[in-house]
Amino acid sequence: MANQRALPQSKESLLQNYNKRLKDDIRSILDNLTEIIKTAKVEEETQVSRATQAEQDHYEMHVRAANIVRAGESLMKLVSDLKQFLILNDFPSVNEAISLQNQQLRSLQEECDKKLTSLRDEIAIDLYELEEEYYSSSYSQWDSTDLPLCEAYRRRDSWASPDRDTTSGSAQGGGEETDGQASQETSPKQHLNGHGTTASADMP
Amino acid sequence: MANDRLRALEEVENQIATILQCAGNIVLELSKDKHNASFLDRQLSQFTGSVNRVETELSSQIRYLTQVATGQPHEGSTYSARKDCQMALNRAEYARVKLGELGHTCEVMLDPQP
Repeated sequence: MANQRALPQSKESLLQNYNKRLKDDIRSILDNLTEIIKTAKVEEETQVSRATQAEQDHYEMHVRAANIVRAGESLMKLVSDLKQFLILNDFPSVNEAISLQNQQLRSLQEECDKKLTSLRDEIAIDLYELEEEYYSSSYSQWDSTDLPLCEAYRRRDSWASPDRDTTSGSAQGGGEETDGQASQETSPKQHLNGHGTTASADMP
Repeated sequence: MANDRLRALEEVENQIATILQCAGNIVLELSKDKHNASFLDRQLSQFTGSVNRVETELSSQIRYLTQVATGQPHEGSTYSARKDCQMALNRAEYARVKLGELGHTCEVMLDPQP
């Protein structure tokens, strides 16, 4: 039985095999139950003795009941094979599942990036104010080559735009957010390189 | 769409169990000395109804698969979207870690321990 199921290779033969199994199993269930009900009828005249006939009927009912159970199990196996075939070969539903999953993943990614962007904007605003406060205080130790963000934005507003290519990229705040981020990234480094740790910057 | 078909096949499995149970009840009732005719009728009608439903549903599923299946493997994938989403979550996690470090540094600066 297992060898018969391993033989069909092509899709058509496989589906024809499924059809055949379905018809055979349904037919087996119906026929065996019909025969059981017929056998249950008590007959007045028998060819052999009543005991023998009863024994024969008993054995026949056993076999037919086992056939019904076997056909039921075969139908369950057929349903399992159909589920597997459906999952692997039902392209419309597979495509729909893939597109739905892609949509969910992309929306999650966009939401994540949107929140990160808004967080970045808020932190940039706070950093601007903090730098303005810090570099206008007596504790700041920066030279003209190290421009804080607030100073960079102030100079950018007063300069014409082509001039920013002639100066160093880290010195310019830039009109682009990436340039602003680069200055945010390099300014702390230069501060750290020039002044050691932040603790040293606080020392008068 | 796929879930509907798989759910229908789950229902077919329940119907097959109903078929076997009805057949067993019928044989059990026939084994008694006095049969309950109405019970037998109910069980028999339930049995035939379940058999018809199972045959109809499985035939329609096989017919649908005959129209839809190509025999070729499906080559679709969600890998790229999943990778992009994973990278976005990694970015968020990195930002969270860095902000945590910044917060810790601020706490240390504001509350120096003796």
